[in-house]
Parts: sequence; structure tokens; C-alpha cells
Amino acid sequence: MLSGKFEVQTREEEDYAVIQTEGYLNGPRGESLAETAKNLMQKGHTRFVINLAETKLINSIGISILIEIIELLEERRGILNFCGLTPTIEHTFRLVALARHAGIFPDEDSAIAALDNP
Amino acid sequence: MQAPSADETIQRLIFGLSELDELGETIISGHGNFSVSSRTYLRMILGTLQVTGGAILLFHPTENTLTIKSSVNVRDESLVIRVPPGQIPGFLDHPFIDLAEPPAVLRQFLEQIHPLLKSLDARFWFPLKIRDEFLGVISIGAFFNADAMEDWNRELLNVFANHTSIAIAYSQLQIRSRAERFRLFMLSDTATQICKSLDTEAVQEEVVAHVVTLLDANAAGLMQINPSTKRLEMKSLFSLESHANDELRRLSIPLDTEENLHPALSMIAEVATQADKTLVYNDEKNAALFGRKNLIAVPMRGREEILGVLVVADKVGRSGATLDFTDGDKTLLEAFANQAGVAIENAFLYQEALEARRLQAEMEEAEKIQQTLIPDTLPDIPGYEATGRYQPRGGVGGDYYDCIPESDGTWGLAIADVSGKGMQAALLMATLRAGLRSEATRKTDLPTMALTLNSLLNASGDFGKYATFFFAQLHAETNQLISINAGHNDPMVIRSDGRCEWLKKGGVMLGIFPDDMIAKMPPFEQETTHLASGDIVLFYTDGVTETTNINDELYGEARLQDIAVRLRNESAETICRAIYDEVIEFQGEAEQFDDLTLMVLKKQ
Repeated sequence: MLSGKFEVQTREEEDYAVIQTEGYLNGPRGESLAETAKNLMQKGHTRFVINLAETKLINSIGISILIEIIELLEERRGILNFCGLTPTIEHTFRLVALARHAGIFPDEDSAIAALDNP
Repeated sequence: MQAPSADETIQRLIFGLSELDELGETIISGHGNFSVSSRTYLRMILGTLQVTGGAILLFHPTENTLTIKSSVNVRDESLVIRVPPGQIPGFLDHPFIDLAEPPAVLRQFLEQIHPLLKSLDARFWFPLKIRDEFLGVISIGAFFNADAMEDWNRELLNVFANHTSIAIAYSQLQIRSRAERFRLFMLSDTATQICKSLDTEAVQEEVVAHVVTLLDANAAGLMQINPSTKRLEMKSLFSLESHANDELRRLSIPLDTEENLHPALSMIAEVATQADKTLVYNDEKNAALFGRKNLIAVPMRGREEILGVLVVADKVGRSGATLDFTDGDKTLLEAFANQAGVAIENAFLYQEALEARRLQAEMEEAEKIQQTLIPDTLPDIPGYEATGRYQPRGGVGGDYYDCIPESDGTWGLAIADVSGKGMQAALLMATLRAGLRSEATRKTDLPTMALTLNSLLNASGDFGKYATFFFAQLHAETNQLISINAGHNDPMVIRSDGRCEWLKKGGVMLGIFPDDMIAKMPPFEQETTHLASGDIVLFYTDGVTETTNINDELYGEARLQDIAVRLRNESAETICRAIYDEVIEFQGEAEQFDDLTLMVLKKQ
């Protein structure tokens, strides 16, 4: 059976933060991701990497919440890169134009490196 | 506080109008996401009217709540105001609400939420709406430079409220459009994704994973019809709740029963039998199957028949509240289920093709083994003619015949039919042959040999694997034939005068019973037959007598006996070939599934 658990982990560095999710990203779980991102923004972070390597499923509400995070960051002149996307999720991000506002990278290291070269 | 002069009022009005123009520009060119743009609107409103604090609250129709989207100088930004549906008309009918003197229709409700209004520092509310749809409220606090709201302020705020309503509606439209685009993309992408795999289990898992995201649900199950048990069985399950998952994984619904089932189970079973049936339960009472809040089920069709049912449950909104499955969800799920059905059927057919290819390869290997076990020609027995014929039909069976010369001048004549086909049958036959050849040299009596071979086959084969077996020891010098028949078709002895005898004595077939059970059965027996000149012994397997023609008639023992008697004066080779030709002619175009094996011994 497919797993239903969801977890958000964060790692704060001096000039960026990494958020790592695990599990199905739906509405309520997306809210907890958005809350995590907003808390980090309130602490002054504006450079983010969201690692979705352990998230294989995202629904439409999850997508809208990611867009909201991007817009909040744009308002703060911040930057967001995604990494570890499944082919389907990457397809989806490109289709809903989310990829125009955030970078997509295969792994966390390249996503972090690209924060300096947007 | 002094009232503003006419000049000040005109100046503020001009400023307000210019801000209004700005607000219009922001709506047209600004963010579709109201979370971001609402802050700009609020700042413009508060700045223009010189109000100390306020908030824009959005109404969530599925949960009947108002929550703060943007705020300035509000003590509790996380407050949630529940608005009973009966209060909505009151808000739609009043574009401006002075909270100190609210309209009678809203008074009781606003008194109830007074502590929340206090947290908001709210003095005035301007409901936001598009036609009859209530969208939220602009809540403002005290004026910085005035005690009361002037008429022009109120008019200006009404215009601001209209603009803000348009911005909210635009934002919601964008969100809906994005969600629809997402769903359509998912629907088209799903076909590609689930068809990529040809592993049935992997496809089933992909299907449930895709369907939960497609319908914003928390659980989904794929149930397939098991035609042999006539039950609908759970094959793949996705569930965010751990409650009752074990029960769900084991869920199996009888399709043809008088049993009193839970209404949801009964309806799911009905969906499995009606191609155009879709079930939607948005009420918790009927959907309360294993703790679910609502559910939708659609039939999953293959090319010709219903393969199963796709059940999706617990649709939730952003806040986690349960949402009803809509007609749009139903249409989407039906389209998805059609794709899923084809993908699952493709995977199933592919697995079947693979299995067929594997069996074919196994058959070819088994055939090679069998070719090495069946003699090309039989040895010359002094004073006798012996010949055999083996014809595989419908795959490799387990027929075997042999003629073993022994050191004491006797000859072992064997014929057997091992159960099953393919590699397993070939290996069991090889075991029997090896055992027989070993036992034949030990010169034990035939019942003892039968017991040894039974023990050997029983130990080496799976349960249910067995061999019918006939063995005869020919003493060519004395023309004595000592034989034992372990459940095989009775060989015929055709005397030179045309009389027919049957070699029946022996016991049960070999390999099916273990030693301890055999010991409790009647013992194996052997019999002795004397052969005279012109006598024929005809050994055969059931592939000969059970050959059918296109009218489904059996060739049978009577026809076999008849031809053997008729041709008894011919050579063994002629008799064998004639019987073979007659059987093949008899079968005509009818398909046969059992091997055809014959052996003829004739005393010269």
C-alpha cells in the first residue's frame, strides 16, 4: 500500500534555507509547508530550496500553495529553486507556469548553487 | 475633534479618487493571487481614508468561515469567524454596516461575535460580493482625523469594496482555471504514465496514486473482479488515514449474493456490474464505510467487460474540511477510469503473453528432454516383432514407452502416462524412466518394483502429480509375459483366432499416494500370460482411445479392438501404422490435447 504520511523538514543556513517534504502534498499538508516557508521568511530568509525528492504526489491545491509561496517571495525580491521532482511533477510545474518563476534542478546541491546565479 | 473644512474635504476626495484610479490599475495589472495584492488594496484604502487599522476578510463557502487575508493593526490575525448560511442574505443586502448600529437582521449575529470584532478593532464593515455571491468583508477601525464616517467616505469605500470584490473574483477565477488546467493535464498525462508500465501491480499503484491527486482526495482503492470467485477484490489502496486500512486491504465484496451488505458495499458491487453506473455518496451516513466521509465509485472498463471499480474517498479542501464530490469530479473520474481500465488490461494481456512465451520455451525444452527419453526404434526381440509410435499433440505431454533388454535375456516392456504437461511432466517422466531402468536390473518382483516406483514419484512430484504405468517382463524363450498394471489403460492381447483379453491386474496409479497410505490399500498384483504364435499385445495411452472427432465422439476401445482384430495377421509395424492412421483420420479437424502413444508386440 502507498504511504500516506507527510513531513516537512527545514535546514537553515546563513544565506538560504532548505525545505524538504515527504509524502502526498495536498491542501492541509500544503498549508503546513506554506506556514514553514512564511516562518522562515519572517526570520529574514529570502533564498529557498524546496526539495521534493520524497514527494511523489501533489494535487491542485498543493500547486496553488507553492505558487503562493513563490509570490510571497517575489514580493520580498527572493528566490526559490525546486529539486528532486518526479517527471510528472516537473511536467506539471511547467504546465502551470510555475517553472517560469522558480528554478528546477535535479538535486539539492545544484539547486543551492543556482541561488547565486539566478 | 474639529470637523474638516470644505477645502480639506475636497482635497481628501481628490486624493481618494486618484487612489481609486491607482487601485483599478493594480487590479488590471497586478497579481492574480489575492494573498499578495490584498495587502496593496488594504494599504490604499486605509491610507486614503486615514483609518488607523483594518482588515480584508475572505469568506470560505465550503466551511462558512471568514478569515483574515490582510490586516493592519489587528491583534489576532488568525481569528476565524463562523458565519451561519442564514446570515449571508443580511450581508448581501447591506453594502455598509455600522457595527455600533447594525441592521436588525444582523444584530444578533454581530453581538455573538462581538469579542472577535473587538480583536479586529472593527468599527465598520463593507461586505464584498459579486452578484449574489458573498466574498468577504472590508473591516475598518477608527478614523485618524474624524469621529464619524462622512457620506463621501462611505461612497468611496463602497467603490473600493466593489473593486476589491472584482479582484477577489478574478483571483478565484485564476485559481479555478489553474486547478482545471492541472486536472486536465493530469488526465492526459495519466494515460502516458500508467501505460508506461506493463507490470500489473505497478499499474494498479499508479492508478490509485494519480486518482487521489486528480480529485484532491485522501483515499482511493482499486478493486478488481475475480471471475472465478465472482467477488470484487481490493488490489491497490492509497489512504492518508491509518484507520481500518487492514480491513480495506482485505476488502472483498461478493457480486452475486443474498447477503445483507453495508449500503456502500452493496452500491459498489452494483457499480461493478453496470457499465454506466457511477455512485456518489456525499453524506457521511452512507459513506461511513470504514470511517470515510464521502466517496465516489466508477466502473473500470476493459475493451469488452467491466474489470473492476475505482473508489475515491474523502475529498478535502485547503483547510482540511471535507468537500462534496461534484458533477465535474464525476465526469473526470469516469474519463480517468476508462484510461485506467485500458492500462490495466494492457498490462494483464502483456503478462499473459509473457507467461505464454515462457511456457512455450518450457515446452520446447521439455520436448527436447522427452525426445531423448523415447526410443527411436525398439530392439529386436528373438521370435517377436516390436514397434512403437509416439505423436505429441497440443504441447508436450508425459507419455512414455520403452523396451529394455535385460541381462538375463528377458525384456522389459513399459508404457506410462505422466499427469500434466510441459517441463514438470517431462521431469517426472525422466524420474520414472530412471527408476524403472534401475529397478529392472535388480530383478525384484513386479509388485515390489511398483511400490518402489510409487515411493520415488511421490517423493519427487508435487501433490497431485502421478503416472499411470504398465510394465511387462517378457521371457522370450518361454513366451511368458508377466505384467503389472498401475492404473493404466488395459493393454489388449489379441489372440491369433481373434479373441481378445485385457491385462488388468496391478493396483493404483503411481506417485499419488504416500507409502503409508499405499500400505493400507489392496496390494499390487502381477499376472502371467502365455503368448502363442500370431498373438499380439497392444499397449496404448488414453490419447488413442480418447481422441475425439469434430462431432465430439470418442475413438474408444471398441474401434481400437476392432482394427487390431481385423489386422491381426499383419506385421506389428503394419498394425501400428494402420491404427495411427485410423486415429488421425478419425480426429479430422478436431483439436487434440493429449499425446498419442502406441506399442505393438507380436509373437511370430
